[in-house]
Amino acid sequence: MNFLLDSLIQALKLIFSYDPEVYLTVWTSLYVSIIAIILASFIGIPVGLAIGPCRFPGKRMVITLLNTLMALPTVVVGLVCYGFLSRMGPLGHWGMLFTPWAMVLGQVILATPIIANYTLGALSAADDRIMPTALTLGASSLQSSMQLLQEIRFGAMAAIIAGFGRVIAEVGVAMMLGGNIRAYTRTMTTAIALETSKGEFAFGLALGLFLMTVALLVNMFLNLLQQR
Amino acid sequence: MKPILSIRNLKKSYNGQVVLDIEELDFLPQRIYSLVGPNGCGKSTLLQILALLMKPTTGALYYDDWPVVWKRGELQKIRRHVTLVHQSPYLFHRSVRYNLAYGLKIRGIHGDEQHRRIHDALETVGLEGFGRRNARELSGGEQQRVAIARALLLQPKVLLMDEPTSNMDKKSTAEFDALVPTLIERELTIIQATHMPDQPERLGSEIIAMEQGRLV
Repeated sequence: MNFLLDSLIQALKLIFSYDPEVYLTVWTSLYVSIIAIILASFIGIPVGLAIGPCRFPGKRMVITLLNTLMALPTVVVGLVCYGFLSRMGPLGHWGMLFTPWAMVLGQVILATPIIANYTLGALSAADDRIMPTALTLGASSLQSSMQLLQEIRFGAMAAIIAGFGRVIAEVGVAMMLGGNIRAYTRTMTTAIALETSKGEFAFGLALGLFLMTVALLVNMFLNLLQQR
Repeated sequence: MKPILSIRNLKKSYNGQVVLDIEELDFLPQRIYSLVGPNGCGKSTLLQILALLMKPTTGALYYDDWPVVWKRGELQKIRRHVTLVHQSPYLFHRSVRYNLAYGLKIRGIHGDEQHRRIHDALETVGLEGFGRRNARELSGGEQQRVAIARALLLQPKVLLMDEPTSNMDKKSTAEFDALVPTLIERELTIIQATHMPDQPERLGSEIIAMEQGRLV
């Protein structure tokens, strides 16, 4: 019990003494995940908007595929991306492996199906009079889709936040594509795994507290949106 | 007089069942038409087709003597002159003003002109001072009037209305009945579906009776 208590006190000291190592790791996690989620939103939301209101053969299959992709194991995404980005891989000449951009790529792949699926969910709950109303007021197809997005804005926000929750907490992609390089690609999750294995439990705990705080804030925001 | 909308040999089917079958029908400008008939006789389907929201299975629709081409860009051009007010109109989750400004913004109408048209339209339907109110928090009748105002301020050539007074109380219905004939002076053609047996006469409208998708 003393061990846990001592570690917690030490972790809090690291946080409140603004330990640069802790804050640099938190910053790396945040900026990689924020860039990834912005890119994934630009793909996932239009995918949801394109599939949702349309009727086409194989729609159910596409939705099932998106559902399956939501459960993609992060290490599998890491593995496949590694295959493409490693020096021997087809995209090896990009020199992206073990950079923050490789982590962004992996996280975009993880978050896009989540955002697309949540958007689809929001669309299925949306009123089917929205688009005809916009059209009859003179909107083009694109403008009516944008109006539909406006009307489901809280659902779309929830989609983005759910995607962010997934990527900020993942380890597989960050470890395999980022390489856990100190002050460059070390994220909260990879640092926790590394520092704990080195016996630096307090450092891991400090990052764990940050991660929990981010998760808490994300969930609080999500709940707030769902209540609206 | 040249018709503003014409229908020739128009049919609409769902799963092989014909729900609308009209050989010939012309709507002349600056007139009021009332579509009457029992539930499911095809009134709403006809309005959806006239509003270019539904493509007929076969047949042709003419707007101002030009055949309607069912391509996105072409449809959008005509929809700027033909507006439909649904039976249960959908108002966007914003203020009344936002709802009224939507179609104007699409047409590039901003500033004073936008402000004037919104003010006039709200006055026309008796909702002055409602601009800042949340559109979704209004009563059914008020929402219906906002939807009519939203259509009117676009100054369409054809105004289609599906059971426009279905959510209105007696007083609002009487106001609506008084308003409609005055709209004709704005070079507007009105085609409405109605269930109220005495309303077509009150409006001085031409009656188009329908039954099982056909004109009677």
